[in-house]
Parts: sequence; C-alpha cells; structure tokens
Amino acid sequence: MTCSRTKKLLLAAICALAVPSARAADEEIKIGACQPITGRFAFAGAQLNAGLADYIAHANEQGIVKGKKLVYIYEDTGYDTEKAVATFKKMMAQHSPVIMYGESTGQGKAIAPELNSRYKVLYGSTSFSSELADPKTHPYSFVSGPTYSDQFGILLDYIVKHPKKGKPKVAFFYSDTEFGKDPIVWAKKRAGELGIDVVAEVVTKVGAVDVTTEVLTLKQAQPDYVIFQGYVLAPIPEVIRAARDHGLETTFMSTFWSMDRAIIEKLGPDAEGYMGVNPYAYWWEDAPGIAAMREYNRKAHPEVTYRPNSYIQGWFTGMVYVESIRRVVAAKKPVTGDNLKDALATIKDWDTGGVTGKVTFVNNKAAVGRVYRANVQKTTFEPASDWIYLK
Amino acid sequence: MRIGDFKESYAADEALFRTPTARAWLGVLLAALAVFPFLAGDYLLYLANLVGVLAIGALGLNILTGYTGQISLGHAAFMGVGAYAAAVAATRFAAPFWVAVPVGGIAACLAGAVVGVPSLRIKGLYLAIATLAAQVIFEWVFTNWTGVTGGIRGINVAPASLLGFDFDTDRRTYFLVVALAALHAYWAANLFRTRVGRAFVAIRDHDLSAELMGVNLFRTKILAFMISSYYAGIAGGLFVYFAKVVTPESFPLSLSIQYLAMIIVGGLGTIQGALYGTVFVTLVPEGLRSLTQLAQLVSPEAMTWFYPMRDIVFGAMIVGFLVFEPHGLAEIVNRIRRFFALWPFPK
Repeated sequence: MTCSRTKKLLLAAICALAVPSARAADEEIKIGACQPITGRFAFAGAQLNAGLADYIAHANEQGIVKGKKLVYIYEDTGYDTEKAVATFKKMMAQHSPVIMYGESTGQGKAIAPELNSRYKVLYGSTSFSSELADPKTHPYSFVSGPTYSDQFGILLDYIVKHPKKGKPKVAFFYSDTEFGKDPIVWAKKRAGELGIDVVAEVVTKVGAVDVTTEVLTLKQAQPDYVIFQGYVLAPIPEVIRAARDHGLETTFMSTFWSMDRAIIEKLGPDAEGYMGVNPYAYWWEDAPGIAAMREYNRKAHPEVTYRPNSYIQGWFTGMVYVESIRRVVAAKKPVTGDNLKDALATIKDWDTGGVTGKVTFVNNKAAVGRVYRANVQKTTFEPASDWIYLK
Repeated sequence: MRIGDFKESYAADEALFRTPTARAWLGVLLAALAVFPFLAGDYLLYLANLVGVLAIGALGLNILTGYTGQISLGHAAFMGVGAYAAAVAATRFAAPFWVAVPVGGIAACLAGAVVGVPSLRIKGLYLAIATLAAQVIFEWVFTNWTGVTGGIRGINVAPASLLGFDFDTDRRTYFLVVALAALHAYWAANLFRTRVGRAFVAIRDHDLSAELMGVNLFRTKILAFMISSYYAGIAGGLFVYFAKVVTPESFPLSLSIQYLAMIIVGGLGTIQGALYGTVFVTLVPEGLRSLTQLAQLVSPEAMTWFYPMRDIVFGAMIVGFLVFEPHGLAEIVNRIRRFFALWPFPK
C-alpha cells in the first residue's frame, strides 16, 4: 500500500518535472546567427542582423508557425573566419539551435566538414557564393536567392534582350578577391552561349583609387555594358566618372552589394543610366511583402525611414527559415536540421508577397532577380525588367 | 636569486627549468594541458587549437624579431607558404600529415632564405618594407597561381590521420597541436643555448661587434630567417589540418601585424613571451566578446553599440601594456615570480 503510494507519488513527481520541460523544448525553436557586426563587413552586418531578427519577431507576432515560439540568438564575429567558426561551435554547444546563419563565404567553407558530419543544421549566410550552393559538398547550406553567377546570368539575359547595336559587347570589371572572381569563369562561358562578346576583363584591388589605366582599357574596348563585381562602393564611382569624362557611352551594371541607394548618393548626377541586378524588391516598392516590412519597422523602429538592401536580404533569409520550419511542422515531423533541409528543397513557386519573385529552391538556391535602373531625381532604383528566372 | 639554490655542475647551470619550483609548475602546466581536453567543450578546444597553431608561428617570429632583431611584416605569408605546401602535398601526392606538415615547414624555410637576403644590406624600417613586399607577392601568388593553389577557392584538406586514428574532431586535433607546439617551444628554448642562438642575440645587440667576434653575419641572418619561416611553415601546415581548408584570405597582412603584436605584448626575446602574447591576443578579444554578450540580456539593441567598444578596450589594453610594462607579459610574470621567491619575507 505504502509502496504503491510512494510509487504513485514518484510517478506524479516525474511527470510534473518532465512534462513542462518537454513542452518548453517543443515550443521553442532556436535560430542562431554569427553576424559580422564589427569589422570590414559591418556596413552590411548590422542591417543583415536587424533584418533577420525583425522577420523572426514579425513571424512570432503573426503566429506563422502555429504553437511554436521562434527564438533568435546572435553574436558578433568581427568578420574573422576563425572567430566565426569558434562562435558557431560556441552557439551550438550553448543553445543547440536547429538553424544557423553565417557571416561569410569563408566560414561556410571552414564549417562544412563538421556541418555535414556532426552539427547537421540548416545553414544560411550572407554569401552568394556559388560554391556554397553545391548540394554535393554543402548539403545543409543554401544561398538566400541567386548566386553571383546567377546574378551575372540575369544581367546577361537582359543584355541579350536589349542589344544596343549589333552583337552585344560587355566588359567584366572585378576585384581580385574571392568575392570578385566567383562568377567570372561561369559568366564568360554563359556569354559565349548567348552570343555576347566579352571584349575586356579588368581586375583591380578592392580599394583601388587611381583607375585611369583601367578606364583607358574600357575606352579601347568600347563595350556596350560593363559589369562590376566584387566591390561595394569604391572604385565604382571613380570609374564611372572617369568614363564619362572620356566620353564613353557605356551602361554600367552591378550585382547585389553595389545596388543600394548609397551608390546613387555617391554618384550624384553620374548615376544616370546606372543599372544592376537585385534579388529583392526595394524598401520603397509597393509589393505587399515589402509593405508588411515597412509596417513592422514603423511599429518596432519608429525612427527608421529607410532600410538598405542588406536588411532585406536578412529579412528574406528569415522568411526562408520560417517557411522551412512551417513546412516541417505542418508535416508533423520533428524540427531537425535534416527535416528542414528536406523541407527547403520542396519550396516551389512560393509567393513571397513581392519581396522577390516566385521562389523555387533548386540546388540550394533560388535563381531569381530583377534588373533595376537608377532614378537620379528620386535617388531610388526602378525596375527595368520583370523578375527574371534562370533555368 | 632563490636562497639555497646552488649550481654544482654545468648541466645544472644550463638547465631549462632550474629550480624545483619551476619544475613543479611545469608539471602543473603539463597536467593541466593533459586534463583540459576532457573537461572543455568544442568551443574552448577550438580556441585552444587556434592558440596552439598561432603560438608556433609567434615562436618563429620571436626568434627572428625578438632574438635576432630583424623585423618582419611577412610572417603570415610564410605561414601561407607552409599551408599551401602542406595542402598540395596532402591532396596531390596523398602525403600523410606527418610528411605534409614538415614539407610545409621546409617550403617556408626555403622561401624565408630568399626573402632574408636583403636583410644583409637593409635594417630596421627598411627591412620591414622589404618583408612587406614578400607578404604582398606571396598573397598575389596564392590568389593567382590557380593551377597549384586552387586560386580564390583554395584547397580542401581531409583531417590528419595516424595509423588509422583520424584527428577529425577538435578534441583529437588538440593533442596533435599541443604536441607540436610543445616540441617547437622546447626546440626554440634549446636554440638559445647553442652557438647559433647566441650569435642571433649578438647580432640583435650590435651587428658590427658580432661580426668582429667572428659571427658570419650573412649566414647567421639568413639562418634566422630560415628558422623563423620554418616555424611559420609548420604553423601553416598545422593550420591546414585545423581549418580543413586553405584560401588566400587566410593569411592577410593583418595577421602579420597580429603576430608582431603577440610578441611585443608577450615580451620580445623570450620564449614564454611568445606563448603569453599568443594567448593574450587571441583570447582576450574573445573574453571581451563574451562580456559584451551579457549586454544582450539587458537590451538586444545595445549590442550594436557594445560590439565596437570591445575593439577600443582591447586597443587600450595593448597601449597600457606598452606604457606600463614595455618588456611585455613575460616580464610581469617574472616580477610576480620574483615576488614569491622570498615570500612571505620582504626583500
């Protein structure tokens, strides 16, 4: 009698202890991030972090994932690969999140062996490197949109459809960094297939100031379009000014990082005709997804009047995370890295409310983007094409 | 001077660890190093491995700059040469790690011999610029010699393996790193008990007098460069097995400067100094980061302000050391040791 009562009491105690903790573990889904908030990449890092954090808070408010609370944890890495890997391990040990966010291409490469064999969490990052979108070597990572190669593909697609006179001639102008060189080999091949002549390739240091010889090279080659890659601001304004001084009538184009409002402000009137590809819509656009983002900012950060495209990249990455979680939860599966990775691969023709085009993840990336043209009077970018999808 | 510490033989006079207390502390250190991997998690082990790899490089730079007085701004590049040589040996020629790492050391050693040549003619700041050129040239080679270095994408390397035992986790790598770091610290300490080591010090103190005493300046300076680069190369080779990937962006100029900071903060011309300096420069920013992380509990927004403060605090600490103890951490430790030598009696 006493024995069974003791047993019952014990059982009750065990249940009382076990149930709430089990439920608490179920309800919270942790998302960790190694963010480059200080260091060379700080200009984007703080915004990427804010975008990701805000979308997760927004998703909690809206109750997008039913019955679960999403928890966002981040740490600064200072844009240092070794420190970033250390931070990754620290966060995994402390919080064991099911999703991680990384600060750089370098971190993605360095963490890959252990990500695949031990950690097995869904991994998104700041990077658009095509290497990280290779499902064979990086099955758990994905690129939040098109890779740099895809971005070049979208621009080349646009160029073929908008020839100036005769066979289109382009020049590639890139920095001698991983970021600069990433898409070049693929882009040259692609240009060949599309019948575009690559008439010049100019390689410079990132912080190059004197660009006279480079501009003379462009002048000799007389390309219809010049595509920049691997820079943020400098030396793009210098090149465009010098080219205008030499009377060059070339259209200058860029990929994601040089497609923020900051470059129009820097260029002033020389921004006339400046174009490029952006995987996401801008802050001022009318799409419902962007309006929701503005609305969230109005409530949570009333002082904010503008968010750069790096913020929107963070926001969109948050959308991908939450959509993957939603799909796993809807299928009544446990939220693990493996299930999230599989859920990501099922995303097809997903409507993001105009934050970007219809999203389909193939090979751990969504190859969609739109070509924009600078509007100098309004210091904005305006769409020059519809969403372009690369096959 | 410790009371009752008499040297009765040359061997006792030349011993590395001269007193029972020093030997006891060495024992404590070795025991701590042996126990550490079983207590620490992945994060601490990873940091320990990073410190170990960088410590080997810092020991090398201290041989060149601290002991021989030849300043170098190209130390990271030598580390890179070692890393690429080891990675190529491991991937192209399927060399096991115990071949690949020494290959890295030897490759860097040869590169150091070439870069060291101008040191005969130029000194001080001018030599700093000459070695800076080496840094730039090697970085360019890493990026552009695509056929060998894999260009910007670099080379991925499988974990080290010995007799079927894979050094694939941080805990396993730890033993490899600590063993190599201890071995190289021991060699470096021994070096300065030889003729060559004393010749290095003579060159640092006054190169003309050294030459008058019969030190062959050219040979000795080149040798200092070679040994120093060999250490950097070993550090690079080990880095490959630690990071599992090598890219040109792993060895920037800022790493060369960080190496100089390590040996200056730690103490120029001391073995312990290189080790203390590495620990300080690597771990203190991490510690500060963990502290700023606490602010996240108070206000998540405040973090964006707290993070940059960390760099300011770290910078102020370095300046503070230089002002209050120009001989570095090693000297601070020595002073504490001297204080306790007679403790509890006053001097």
